[in-house]
Amino acid sequence: MKKIGVAFLAAAAVLSAPLLAFGQDDEPADDAEAGAAEETPEEEGGEKPAGEKAEGDDAGLGGICEIDPDACPKLDFDKEAARDIREQVFAVQQLFVLRRWRLEVQPYWAVTLNDQFVSHSSPGMAINFWITNVLAAGISGNYYEPFNTDSEFNFQTRRATRTSVPLTEYQWNANLNFTYTPIVGKLSGFGDFIFQYDAYVVGGVGAISVRPIPVIDPDNRGFNWQTNIAFNAGIGLHIFFNRWLAATLEVRDYVFNDKLENTEIDDTNPQDPDTWYGDTQLTNNVQAQLGISIFFPFSFEYQLPK
Amino acid sequence: MIRSGRALLLGSTLGVASFFATKPAPAQEILLTGPLKGAKAVHDLRLYRKGRVEIAPTATFTLLDEYTRQIFVGGRINYNFTDFLALGVWGGFSPEALKLPSGLVDKIQKVNSDRQAENLARRNATPPLQPTLNNRATVLNMGNNFEDQLGTVDWIVAPQLTFVPFRGKLALFSSIYIDSDFYFFAGPAIASVTERKDCAGTDSTLQGGCSSEAPSGIDDANGDPIPIPNAETYPMEKRIAIAPTFGVGFTFYVNRWNALGFEWRATPFARNTGGFDNHGGGPDQEFPDQSVNSEDRDLKLNQMLSVSWNFYLPLDFQLSE
Repeated sequence: MKKIGVAFLAAAAVLSAPLLAFGQDDEPADDAEAGAAEETPEEEGGEKPAGEKAEGDDAGLGGICEIDPDACPKLDFDKEAARDIREQVFAVQQLFVLRRWRLEVQPYWAVTLNDQFVSHSSPGMAINFWITNVLAAGISGNYYEPFNTDSEFNFQTRRATRTSVPLTEYQWNANLNFTYTPIVGKLSGFGDFIFQYDAYVVGGVGAISVRPIPVIDPDNRGFNWQTNIAFNAGIGLHIFFNRWLAATLEVRDYVFNDKLENTEIDDTNPQDPDTWYGDTQLTNNVQAQLGISIFFPFSFEYQLPK
Repeated sequence: MIRSGRALLLGSTLGVASFFATKPAPAQEILLTGPLKGAKAVHDLRLYRKGRVEIAPTATFTLLDEYTRQIFVGGRINYNFTDFLALGVWGGFSPEALKLPSGLVDKIQKVNSDRQAENLARRNATPPLQPTLNNRATVLNMGNNFEDQLGTVDWIVAPQLTFVPFRGKLALFSSIYIDSDFYFFAGPAIASVTERKDCAGTDSTLQGGCSSEAPSGIDDANGDPIPIPNAETYPMEKRIAIAPTFGVGFTFYVNRWNALGFEWRATPFARNTGGFDNHGGGPDQEFPDQSVNSEDRDLKLNQMLSVSWNFYLPLDFQLSE
């Protein structure tokens, strides 16, 4: 029992010996290599046989060897101090924000990126539950109906070319989605402050309610809202102000089959709704979403390895 | 009602109190006492930019184009006076092969071609017929092939100042760590633009007017000549536009001497992308005036996304204190 205690003290003394720590350079320093090269002849010619007491051992261990010679470590401290250090140091050792088992509420405003004819701006909301620090399951939705806007470009093109392009307006969408965060990082601003960010990918499936805007034969046609299946995929960025509040920028593509207005008019029965619909085309509604993320609960505790 | 009001008030008070009771955690807590007091946040920072020349071949893609998507092949040269300030120039050239019409162009041209076919059928009828009014209504705005009248940007050169306020690193899958920086840039841009040539009046382009009608040599039953609408190709011309340019970018350093870059740029200036007579007449000049000129240009943000491979000279960086 006594031997175990002495050995423990010896190990503690060895571990407390100061070692050089390099900032972030995993390559061996040139002078360290030179030092090792210079040391080689000494090692070959001057290495002490095992069991022989090294110079300075007693001073370094504070008399442990006198108490119990069997427990006396056989270490050459000069050699240990000069050895090349290859300790693995992680650049980002601790996540600034832990998300596991937290709820993220994300209100945002969305603007259309790829529809030149009708702008589908909308308020939206996403709620994500983080299953792990990098994976979340959630729901999201947009409310478009009052915000569909026929663009000036559409008017000009229609007037100049006498061409009517079938238009679609959106009412709402709702989605189930998963979010995965492969990238976390931090940036130093003006060398004065540091902010944290992460980048994520998001994807899922849901529904979108849409209908054509009657432009070919508005006198006779009026369309009802129809709900279609929509798949979505996107990328996003969280910029954290603190551990529960972040700005969010996301670009997401909602893909669905859109039934367009028929560009031909059935002259014999123009009021027959069966003649109003034309082609069905795969539509990409790409939108940029700018908002904030609030994480609940506000605080969390790190579980550091012992 | 009163009870529910009290409950609402109590709930709101508790919510607000719990909201503000939370102590915000600063990003990097500063040790105000102890051996690190007053120490710099970062020692031995790799100064990837300071005193180095950056040479970066770039591929630049235009964004949100109505009619023509373009790719510019070019490059950027910067001299970095410090790690946060650089002066340089970016330039790009878009050859004809990298000017790609959008789907809308195909749709408009299909309508144009259908009208031309209908006009041909009417001319070949017995007796020959004039084109319909609807088919003659676009002669000032559409030539034989819509793609040939689209406005494009041929090249851009932009001297610019780059400011790099943000410097950091990111972890990818918690296993790959990359130094990065985030920067802003701005400067004047000089752009060569190809647009439909200025014209005035309803005469054919053959007589210096704006109409794409051409004579067919065929008369109708009344002896009136039958024109061929949308037959001619509008002449185009180049001009130089000077505009501000600005944007933001990310740099991801691969090693000591090369990096990958992503950059968003806007160069707002007015141009006529469709070759249409849109403005110049009526109240506020918001209606066509049967002429094509500078009044028909609309302000565009001209957004672009650049991908670059950056090389730095000298090959090694300096370290901060």
